Amino acid sequence: MAGANEPVEGAGAGEQPVVMMDYFMHLEYHEVVCPIVRRYAASLMEGKILGQFSPKSGLVYVPPRSYCPVSCEWLGEDNLIELEDRGVITAFTIVTPVQYYGQEETEPFAKASVLLDGPGGMLSLQDILEIPPDEVRIGMKVEAVWLPESERNTDEIGNRSWGSAAGAIVGWRPTGEPDLPAETFTDKVY
Amino acid sequence: MADLPISTHVIEFPYTRTLGPVLGPFLTGLRDGQIYGIRSNDGRVLAPPTEWDPLTGEPLDTSALVPVGPGGVVETWAWVNHPTSKHPLDQPFAFALIKLDGADTALMHAVDAGSMDAMSTGMRVTARFKDERVGVITDLVFVPEGGA
Amino acid sequence: MNDIAIVGYAQSPSWERAELTEVQFLFPVIADAIAAANIDRRDIGFTCAGSCDYLSGQTFAFVSNLEAVGAWPPISESHVEMDGAWAMYEAWIALQHGDIDVALAFGSGKSSPGDPAHIYPLQMDPYTLTPLGADPASLAALQARALLDSGRITEREMAEVAARNRKDAIGNPHAQVSGEVDVDALLATPYVTAPMRAHDLPPYSDGACAVIMATADKAREICENPVWIRGIDHRIEIHQPGMRDLRESPSTAAAGHGAGVGDGPVDIAELSVAYTHQEKILTDALGLGDGVKINPSGGPLTANPMMATGLSRIAEAARAIQRGDAKRAVAHATSGQPLQQNLVCVLEGDLR
Repeated sequence: MAGANEPVEGAGAGEQPVVMMDYFMHLEYHEVVCPIVRRYAASLMEGKILGQFSPKSGLVYVPPRSYCPVSCEWLGEDNLIELEDRGVITAFTIVTPVQYYGQEETEPFAKASVLLDGPGGMLSLQDILEIPPDEVRIGMKVEAVWLPESERNTDEIGNRSWGSAAGAIVGWRPTGEPDLPAETFTDKVY
Repeated sequence: MADLPISTHVIEFPYTRTLGPVLGPFLTGLRDGQIYGIRSNDGRVLAPPTEWDPLTGEPLDTSALVPVGPGGVVETWAWVNHPTSKHPLDQPFAFALIKLDGADTALMHAVDAGSMDAMSTGMRVTARFKDERVGVITDLVFVPEGGA
Repeated sequence: MNDIAIVGYAQSPSWERAELTEVQFLFPVIADAIAAANIDRRDIGFTCAGSCDYLSGQTFAFVSNLEAVGAWPPISESHVEMDGAWAMYEAWIALQHGDIDVALAFGSGKSSPGDPAHIYPLQMDPYTLTPLGADPASLAALQARALLDSGRITEREMAEVAARNRKDAIGNPHAQVSGEVDVDALLATPYVTAPMRAHDLPPYSDGACAVIMATADKAREICENPVWIRGIDHRIEIHQPGMRDLRESPSTAAAGHGAGVGDGPVDIAELSVAYTHQEKILTDALGLGDGVKINPSGGPLTANPMMATGLSRIAEAARAIQRGDAKRAVAHATSGQPLQQNLVCVLEGDLR
C-alpha cells in the first residue's frame, strides 16, 4: 500500500514536511455462531435451506434469525420451515469494482436478491451463474447450484453472514422457465 | 462453549489523515529528531502541541512551536506486563505521563525501562529516537536517563 | 423542567461470552422493559440507543439493534455512539419538549468477539495516542498511580473496594463476578498493569439494559411506583491525559452540581467505578460521605456490559428505590478514558 509516511534516514534528513499520517487499523473478531445459525448451516450441509416463519407477520426469514423485527415476536424451533431451492430474481445490482483497499474483484459482477418459491424467503446478494451480468433481469427464474455433498463446508457462515449460503450453494442459474411478472412478487419483497 | 463453532471476522481500514498546521510540524519534528510543544496564550508550553488552548478553546499561534525535551520527568506511570500487539514495544514496558523539559503539560508515551524496578514517579527519562523515522508518534520511545 | 419518571427497566445477564447475537439478547430486554412499564410498544414516542459499532466490528450495527425495538411502522429514533446513559439523556430531553409522553432508551454491547484493549485505543487522539495503543487499563493505571502517589488511597483500599463489590454482587442476577474474597489474598496476586491487579480491573461483559421514561401524568397513569428523575447533567473535560489532573474529576463535580446531588440526603449511589481507585475520585467529586452506600448492586467491577454499564447504574438505582432500599439515589455514567466525560442523575421515589 502506498503510504503518506516515507522513511527518512537520520536526523534532519527530511526535505519535505510531513503533512499526512497513515494509520492502519486492523481488528479481529471471534464470535460464537448463534444457535439458530448453527441449525441453518447444518441444514445447508444436508442440501436444505432452513428459514423461519413468523405467524403474526406472515413473513419468512432466511437465514433464520430467532425473531421477527416486524411483529416483534420471538421465533423458535417450531417456526423453522424448509424452503425451496428455486426462486425468482426480484432485484439485482451490477457492481463495477473500484479498486479500494480490500476489493478482490476486478471484473463487473451481478449480485441478486432471490425470492424463493413456495413459502418464500429472500436470499440477498446471491451470485448468478452461467450468464453474463448484463443478462440478469428482474423476474428471471433461477435454481440453486449446490456443491457436491462431499465438498460442502459451511465453516465460513457466521452471525453476520446475512443471506450467505457460501460453502454449500455456489450460486443460482437460470431455469429457462418464462419470467414472472413483477406484480406477482412486489408484495413479497422485504 | 469451547466446542461451539467460532466465526472469525477481520476489519481493516487504512486511514490516511491530514495533519494541519500544528501536528504536521510536530510530526515533521519527530521525523527530524526534535520534539516540539506550543506556547499557549497564557505563556504555558503544551506538549504534545495543540491548535487550540485546551482550557479556553482559543486558537493558538501556530508559529509559536518551541523545542522541548528530549529529557523529562515521569509524573505517573503504569507497568504493562502484557503488551498488546497495538503497543509500541513487544516486551514489558511502562506507559508514563512525561513532563518534557521546557513543557508545562505531560506527554503520554512508552518508557523502555527493562523492568518495573527501574521505574519511579519523579524519575528522569529521555527520548530514544529510532534510526528510521517516518513522522509518527512511535518514531521514538523514552528510556531512563543515563541508560537502561 | 417537566417532571419525568422512570416507569420500567430491564437488564440482561452479564455474560462473559454470549452465545446469542446482540440483537437476540437485546430482544427480551426491550420486551421486558415494555412489559414492566405496562405500555404497548406503539406508545413509545421516541427511542434512543447507545452502542459502539467498533465493539460489534460491523458498520451500522446500531441499525440492526433496532430490530429488537420494532421499527415498523417507522418510529422516531436516534443513536449515540456512547453508553446508553447518554441515550437516556437524549430521550429525557425529547420528553422535556412535551410533544411525546413515553420514551425508550437502551444500551447494548457484545464485547466478547473483539479485544477491548485493541478497540478502545481507537477512541483516543488518533495522532498521539491511538498509535501507542493507549488502552483503558493502562490509562486507568496512570490515574491510579497518581492517586496512590498523592496518598489519598492505598492499594489495600483499592482491594477493599473490589472485595466489597464482589460481596454485594452475591444475589445480583445481572452480575458476572461475585463472591466472598479475602483482601490479603487479593493483594498477594501479581500486577496485571501495575499498580492494577486483576481485581482492580473490570470484567468485560456482553449485555444490555433498557429504561422507559414517561412524563408526570403518564407515569402516574401507568406506574404504581415511578422513580422520578430529579436532575440529570453531563460534562466533559480535556482529552489529553497529560493536560488534566487525573486525581480529580471536575466534570463529575460539575455534573453532580447540575443534577442537584447536594440538594438533599443521598442514600445510595450507583457509580461507574470500573477501576477500583475511581470510587475515591468519584465520591470526592460528588461529595458523597461515609453514610452513602456505594454500588450496592456490586457495580461495574462485577458486571460491565460495555455501552450499557452506565445505564445499568441508573436501572440499579431505580431498582433500589422501588425496593425501598433508598429514598434518594445518585447514578453515574462515564465515557472516554479515564473518566473524561461524566453523567450524573439524581433519582427519587414517589413521595406522595
